[in-house]
Amino acid sequence: MDSFPVWLSLRVALSATALTLLTGVPTAWLLARKRFPGRNALEAVVVLPLVLPPTVLGYYLLVVIGYRGPIGRALAAIGLELAFTPAAAVLAACVGSIALVIKSAQAGFETVDRQLEQAARTLGRSEWGVFWSVTLPLAWRSVLAGTVLAFCRALGEFGITLMVAGNIPGRTQTLPLAIYDRVQANQMGEANALALVAVGIVVVLLFGLSRLARLRY
Amino acid sequence: MRHSLPIVLALTWLVLGPGSTDAANPPSLTVFAAADLTFAFKEIASRFEKATGARVTLVFGSTGNFAQQIRQGGPADVFFAADQSFVDALAAEGVLLRETRTLYAQGRIVLATARAFGPKLTDLRSLLDSRVRHVAIANPVHAPYGRAAEQALRKAGIWEALRPKLVFGENIRHALQFVQTGAAEAGIVALSIASVPEVDWVSIDAAMHAPLDQAAAVVRRSARPELGLAFIQFVNGPEGRPIMKRYGFMLPGEF
Amino acid sequence: MSGTVSVAITKRFPGFTLDVSWEAEQSVLGLFGPSGAGKTLTLQCLAGLIRPDAGRIVVGERVFFDAAAGVDLSPQQRRIGYVFQGYALFPHLTVVKNIAFGLRGRPRLDRARRISEVIERLGLRGLEQRYPRELSGGQRQRVALGRALAIDPALLLLDEPLSALDAPLRRTLRDELREILSGWGTAAVVVTHDFTEAYRLADRIIVYEDGRVIQSAPRSELLWQPASESVARIMGLSNVLRGTVVKAMPDRIQIAWRGQTLEAVNSPTRSYLPPPENPIAFFIRPEYVRLIRKDRGAPDVAHHMNLMRGRIVGEADFGTVWSLRLRLDTPGAPAQGDFDLEVEVPHLVYEILEIERDRHWEFSIHRGSIHVLPT
Repeated sequence: MDSFPVWLSLRVALSATALTLLTGVPTAWLLARKRFPGRNALEAVVVLPLVLPPTVLGYYLLVVIGYRGPIGRALAAIGLELAFTPAAAVLAACVGSIALVIKSAQAGFETVDRQLEQAARTLGRSEWGVFWSVTLPLAWRSVLAGTVLAFCRALGEFGITLMVAGNIPGRTQTLPLAIYDRVQANQMGEANALALVAVGIVVVLLFGLSRLARLRY
Repeated sequence: MRHSLPIVLALTWLVLGPGSTDAANPPSLTVFAAADLTFAFKEIASRFEKATGARVTLVFGSTGNFAQQIRQGGPADVFFAADQSFVDALAAEGVLLRETRTLYAQGRIVLATARAFGPKLTDLRSLLDSRVRHVAIANPVHAPYGRAAEQALRKAGIWEALRPKLVFGENIRHALQFVQTGAAEAGIVALSIASVPEVDWVSIDAAMHAPLDQAAAVVRRSARPELGLAFIQFVNGPEGRPIMKRYGFMLPGEF
Repeated sequence: MSGTVSVAITKRFPGFTLDVSWEAEQSVLGLFGPSGAGKTLTLQCLAGLIRPDAGRIVVGERVFFDAAAGVDLSPQQRRIGYVFQGYALFPHLTVVKNIAFGLRGRPRLDRARRISEVIERLGLRGLEQRYPRELSGGQRQRVALGRALAIDPALLLLDEPLSALDAPLRRTLRDELREILSGWGTAAVVVTHDFTEAYRLADRIIVYEDGRVIQSAPRSELLWQPASESVARIMGLSNVLRGTVVKAMPDRIQIAWRGQTLEAVNSPTRSYLPPPENPIAFFIRPEYVRLIRKDRGAPDVAHHMNLMRGRIVGEADFGTVWSLRLRLDTPGAPAQGDFDLEVEVPHLVYEILEIERDRHWEFSIHRGSIHVLPT
């Protein structure tokens, strides 16, 4: 069994999850706590990737990051490539999964009693300190749930990746693309083996997380 | 959170570490090829690798998607389309090198029946039988073989009657899958990929549809245009042609 | 702790406007009034959690807020201890971590010393590693107090500190709170809708009604001289009555009420001289209505002022006192529903006078016990 897709997918999913956490959690906090013009637009944009067909989304992304697109050209100017590289697979996974992190985290933050945050302020914590010492610890379960979902989604990302990274064996062929490829080529044995690995990863992840959850408050 | 440090280190290694995709040493060629070429090209490519020492990366998929990707800078060195119109369009845009445009095969469609269903269907009109609940073809909107299937069905006068039973696959391999798994009792697929154990097939007269002239060309942005051209010539040459023929393609010179 | 707290702010909401102005030097100040009067809102403006539309807030030497000068210190900068209604203890932190929360950034030794002091003085020894959900109401209140006091605040704000507790506990804790506040010496502002609480905890009380201040006075003055009928009602006083002025003199006022002519002392801080025929409000403390013993002959008018006769039409036993409702013999509609006066007699008196059996009584009220309420 070709193990390249497995390692690639693991790396893509981990990188993507880290990125979605970094960008998604602050966005979720913004949506949960602040009123600002364009708020509704932001919420719509967040959910959009869940609504559009993945290949369509992939196409729009490709137009932007391809060598003709604005971002593609800007990156090329500094010698970087995005489309059709593993980084594009990470981008595809992020786009497909960020809504899961944002929505879960947002719901979690919204249930944190604002009075606790007020108390923290009177006790001298900065806004950042309030977030780290009160809001996040009280919402960690929601954030974790969102992260797990996002990781699984990133691991299984298919349609967007197909368009934006391509199904290039040994370069951007992630696990889901590899499984699809084997099935199409009627290589069911390999397809099944790869699928089992995917399931195995998720099982190990969930098992590990449930142990972690029990250790904490 | 004391155990977190080793976990973080392991993750970092995983993300940044081995499994790097660049094996820079032998010259490599990336081929975007239509789905119907799957079996034929796997053989041809390995022969080409032995003959030239170059490494060939085959990417199979739908011609329509490939065209979009190449337009946006997809890393193909050479493009084998299932329909020459895509190649001509891209060549006109300057994305493909017009001088390298070559016909390499003419595709054939067949009427496939799922073995699990029963006796082999031999006539298009038998698709109207009530026991045939689903008929799989590639999507006529963007798949050349799907368009050919539609043309054949219209010519047979049964397109409208059959419409409710049609199931569209993303590409020809997808359509074949429907029949292979028995989700569709029958379908119209490419000859070149139809020889699988789960399926019986009969040829469909080529006069029933516009010719599926398949063309290839080298991508302008390729770093190795001569290698791409060499591959096209290899496919059309003494090594490639017998393999293509074996998989049921009509070859240039025969059509 | 010296220093003045001076507040003069306005804040508009749809349907409610806060417009208050007061100053206090006392160590414990009470903001008293019905729910929704703007007391908590004032507290939040003091803490910097809400921004007034206009005005000025000064605590000690520091200007916390000045709309005109564009000054608005953040809550973090104000060094204010806030004890929220419901306490707002951090559920994910132990007692000791809650108390230490505001002490970040201080040297370790200093922090430890401070925490230890707070735990000791608030009687929280032994509870350090507990979580808020494992504590009783009284313990939670003390942790909330401790957390606020630990930062050595310039001002302590308490929002309904006792309302989350059951009645029997409230009494004990009220006294404890008073001791803690005076023991610690920090200036404090306490919000409450219960007059007894305000009286017990605060030295000076500011009465709020509907977004405005209607009286600001030392607590005893408020108790005896509510500034108006509204204040009296808010305080929950009984026997707030209305009559007509017969004659007003600097030291006493004659009031026509229910067919009687009552004589009351005039308000000592002002010579209230309404003209005759004017309506006038006044109140009589229920415990100062004297029922006259029947076994001692006719009452001496010199001793018994405002002599009246009436019948008991209702009574309630409050454990140590009886609350009686008297209806005057004079014809006419009673002043308060089906009775005229509420009278409070200690249990002993009730028994000696055999009130259970004998419902018809003469009674008197000293003129000093009839308090006039200027409008």
